[in-house]
Amino acid sequence: MGVGIDVGSTTTKGVLLDSSGKIVAKSLMLTGASATQAVEQTVRNISSSANIDLNGVPVISTGYGRARVELAAKSVTEITCHSVGVHHINPEICLLIDVGGQDAKAIRIGSSGRPEDFELNDKCSAGTGRFLEVMARVLEISLDELGPLALQSKKPCSISSTCTVFAESEVIGHIGAGESAADIAAGVHVSMVSKIAALSKRVGVKEPVCVTGGVALNPAFRHHLSNQLGVELWVPEEPQLTGALGAAVLALERNAGGK
Amino acid sequence: MTEERAAEEKPYRRLETQALLQQIAFRHGLEAMEASENGNLAWVTSGFPVEIPIALDLGVVYPEQAGAIIGAQKIGPEVSNIAEDLGYSQELCSYARVSIGSTEKPDEVPMGSLPTPQLLLACNNICGTVLKWYDAISEMTGAPVYLLDTPPIDKVQLPHNQEYVRRGVERLIEFIESHFNRTFEEARIREVAELSSKATGLWIRALEACKTKPSPLNCADRFLTMAPVVSSRGTEHCAEFYETFVAEVENRVKNGIGAIRDEKIRLLWDNIPPWHTLKFFNILASRGVVFPADTYTHAWTGNMVAVDKSSLLDQVVETYSRVYLNMGLDAKVDKMCQLIKDYDLDGFVMFSVRSCKRYSLGQLVSKELVTERTGVPGVIIEGDMVDSRVYNAAQIETRVDALLEMLM
Repeated sequence: MGVGIDVGSTTTKGVLLDSSGKIVAKSLMLTGASATQAVEQTVRNISSSANIDLNGVPVISTGYGRARVELAAKSVTEITCHSVGVHHINPEICLLIDVGGQDAKAIRIGSSGRPEDFELNDKCSAGTGRFLEVMARVLEISLDELGPLALQSKKPCSISSTCTVFAESEVIGHIGAGESAADIAAGVHVSMVSKIAALSKRVGVKEPVCVTGGVALNPAFRHHLSNQLGVELWVPEEPQLTGALGAAVLALERNAGGK
Repeated sequence: MTEERAAEEKPYRRLETQALLQQIAFRHGLEAMEASENGNLAWVTSGFPVEIPIALDLGVVYPEQAGAIIGAQKIGPEVSNIAEDLGYSQELCSYARVSIGSTEKPDEVPMGSLPTPQLLLACNNICGTVLKWYDAISEMTGAPVYLLDTPPIDKVQLPHNQEYVRRGVERLIEFIESHFNRTFEEARIREVAELSSKATGLWIRALEACKTKPSPLNCADRFLTMAPVVSSRGTEHCAEFYETFVAEVENRVKNGIGAIRDEKIRLLWDNIPPWHTLKFFNILASRGVVFPADTYTHAWTGNMVAVDKSSLLDQVVETYSRVYLNMGLDAKVDKMCQLIKDYDLDGFVMFSVRSCKRYSLGQLVSKELVTERTGVPGVIIEGDMVDSRVYNAAQIETRVDALLEMLM
């Protein structure tokens, strides 16, 4: 067995794999203000859901809070873990685009499931989940409603800035001009996706392409990204869990005497 | 027993020559103060043909070096703020900002400002910012600026550009001669040219010794020991320093002593280092990562061999125009690929320096080209050489760790 824990900026994820590599328990919760508490709760969640004492089961941690996971035998970057996790479910994938709450990554996956090259946007919130959160707040809707609303648009507003702060002013300008919320929401997605598309092109758009991270759940994001890259996108059933899954796969390999 | 001792040891080995370096820096500082008091101190940019003011017996100091020290003292943000309060942008070169800041309010900087200059010597082979920066210092101190203009080279230097730069060097000599009442003497030129060539030759020997496994020097070692070859080429104490230094380096090679204790991965470093976080290299050293080569310290390898004034001028034009920052992206990509091959490196780290646009421009494209041509992976990390406000250690760690995971 092996456990992977992914402590992200927004959510903390946990996955427990049995020796055949099948998921037997999983957990997803908000990280909140204490990464340590989120990790403890995640361990309790998977332990009780699988009804297993996790003592002695190897743990590998990943994500921005990976150093906070004291019981981890090793910490591995989310870049490697997402790559390994996606490869575990779909070994065909060549390009992985992971958009989380705080950063966005484009990773070229090699035939062994390990990253060959990657690009990261971790310097600004443009092109991350945070961008959509800010815009949803301005439009006074929930984050979950933002994507479906955007898909109703026939004529997306033009939002020229990819910067969160400037784009927010532009959105407020569009509201003032009486544009529909759907058109504004669509414009927000087009703007955000342009940043991700540029990041992806830097590592090379080689099909099949997969999207993961919380933002992959957003249908308007997937629609516009697919349009801008000109490719079909494959989304795993639980796109937020692939980092933790990859960490669990590595823990399992470690248990089996691998690296 | 051996194991116990190994656990207590640091992952890297300190150079004995470092103590000598401190003495040289101290002596250099005193000489600069004296020159300033005597009315003949020049502030010089790192790519300036320093042999000429030295041959004309001027004292020299390097504001870029002072900037690096301010960075290493971790007071970059505070000193930058002084310049930013004057209205200078945070996007401006951080060496320029701390130079202007410490000149404006020397009392607020632990080491004070550099001694007052009587002449400012700028060469734009490394960037265009130096001219405006030195203009600002000129306004503050009253010292005149001499700009040696070196038009960029695309593979070969065009004859009219060669003539133009040569004329610039001749006018520089005339300017110093008339301004400081000096005469450019043949015997002195030969002496300075010889000493400069000797120091550079020794420096190249030390750099090339790092082709050995384990590498006798890591990045931080070279960043510290490069100081004399940058600032005092053409002086006796500079050449003497490198004799001692090379002896230590070659002794390490002979005895198989590495800069770090357990060398596993060899990487190339690109760009100026984060002076405020040189421990970056030591942290990686504890994981078996060494940097046997970098593009920055290899920039001071233009070895001039001159016997008289005419040949010195030719050499100055050639050497200082062909600095690779003055030669476009291809030259830098070629250099990186060559270093990766010659030093048998497993990957590379490119530091994108927020406020050094000239050095950092084109890194995304270069990264792709270098990987394509050498087959080794690389990573770009972002920050600044002096301004630690734009350096995010956690993000940098993730990127470098991901590169190491690709290699291990």
